[in-house]
Amino acid sequence: MAVDLSMPILVVDDYQTMIRIIRNLLKQLGFDDVDDAADGSAALGKLKEKRYGLVISDWNMEPMTGYELLKEVRADDQLRTTPFIMVTAESKTENVIAAKKAGVNNYIVKPFNAQTLKSKIDAVFGA
Amino acid sequence: MPAADNKHFHRVVDYLRARDTTDVTLTDVVALAEITAESFSAFFQSMDATIYKELREIANYITTMKSEIGALQANDLRSKRIPAAGRELDLIVQQTEDATNTIMGCAEAIMAADAKDLASYKAYVDDKAMLLFEACSFQDLTGQRVRKVVETLNQIEMRVARFAAAINAEDMKGFADEAERKRAERAEKLMLHGPQESSQAIKQTSVDAMFHPEGSQDAIDALFP
Repeated sequence: MAVDLSMPILVVDDYQTMIRIIRNLLKQLGFDDVDDAADGSAALGKLKEKRYGLVISDWNMEPMTGYELLKEVRADDQLRTTPFIMVTAESKTENVIAAKKAGVNNYIVKPFNAQTLKSKIDAVFGA
Repeated sequence: MPAADNKHFHRVVDYLRARDTTDVTLTDVVALAEITAESFSAFFQSMDATIYKELREIANYITTMKSEIGALQANDLRSKRIPAAGRELDLIVQQTEDATNTIMGCAEAIMAADAKDLASYKAYVDDKAMLLFEACSFQDLTGQRVRKVVETLNQIEMRVARFAAAINAEDMKGFADEAERKRAERAEKLMLHGPQESSQAIKQTSVDAMFHPEGSQDAIDALFP
C-alpha cells in the first residue's frame, strides 16, 4: 500500500532545530502538510482540532512528555488509531518496551537519517 | 574527664561522723568547707587539665576547618568560576544553534535553488558551500569552551573532595532539596534517561527487531553467520 503523501503530519519536539530537520526530511520524502507542537499538551490540542495521518514525537519534553502523549492518544476514542512514531534520544530498552506496550507504531533512536525515517513510515503504513 | 576518687569523699564523711551532733556551728561549716576544698583540689586540677586539652583539640579542629574552608575557595567558585562556566555553556548552545541554523539555511537554499542555468546554479552552490565551511568553524570554538568548563568542574571536584576528606564527610541520604526530589521522581516515573553512552544505548537494529522480529535485519543476519 502506497503512503498517502498528502496526509497531514504532526511533528512534536521541544527543540526547534529538530522540528526543522524533520520537516525538511519529510519534505524531501514528499510530505508537504506538516504541523508542529512543542510538547505533548500542545500536540494534544492540535490533534483534537485537526485529523492527522501520523504523529512523529520526541519523548523528553515538558510539561507533557511524548510517552504521556502516546498514552493520551491511545486512550482517546477519536485518536486511538492515529499512527504514532517515537523519535527520541531515549535509548534504553525499557523505554522501547514501554512505548511498544503503550501502543507506539514504531521507534527511531536519535541520531537518525532520512532513510531510517522513510523506512519506519513505510513500515507503519505497510508500504 | 576523670571520675571523682572515693578518697575525696572519705575525709568529708569522716569529719561528719566525728562530729556526732545535731548542733552545727559556723566553725563546723567553715571546717567542712576547708576539708572539701582541700579534698577536691586535686580532682579539680586534673579536671581542668582534661578540659583544657579537649578545648585545645576543639580549637585546633576549628583552625584546621577554617583553613580547609579557605582552601575550598567557595566565594571564588560562586562568584567567578561557576558563573563563568555557565556563560561558556550558554555561548556553546548559542554558537551551535547559530551554526545549525546557518547550515540548515544553506541546505534549504540549495534544495530550493533553480538549476536551469547550470553556471549560475554552480556559483550559487559554491557560495553556499563556503558558508557551510565557515559555519563549521563553530566546532573549534565550542571545543575550547568545553575544555574551560571541564577545567572548572575538575577544580570544583578537587576542592570538594579535599574538603570532604578533611571533615570525614559522609553522604547524606535522600535528596538535597524538594526540587531535586521532584525532578528525580518525574524522571523515574516517565523514564527520562536522556541520551545514553554509545556502549549502553540500544541500536536501531535492535529496536527494529522488537517491532518486526521475523523480518528484521538482525533476524536475516542471524541466517548468515
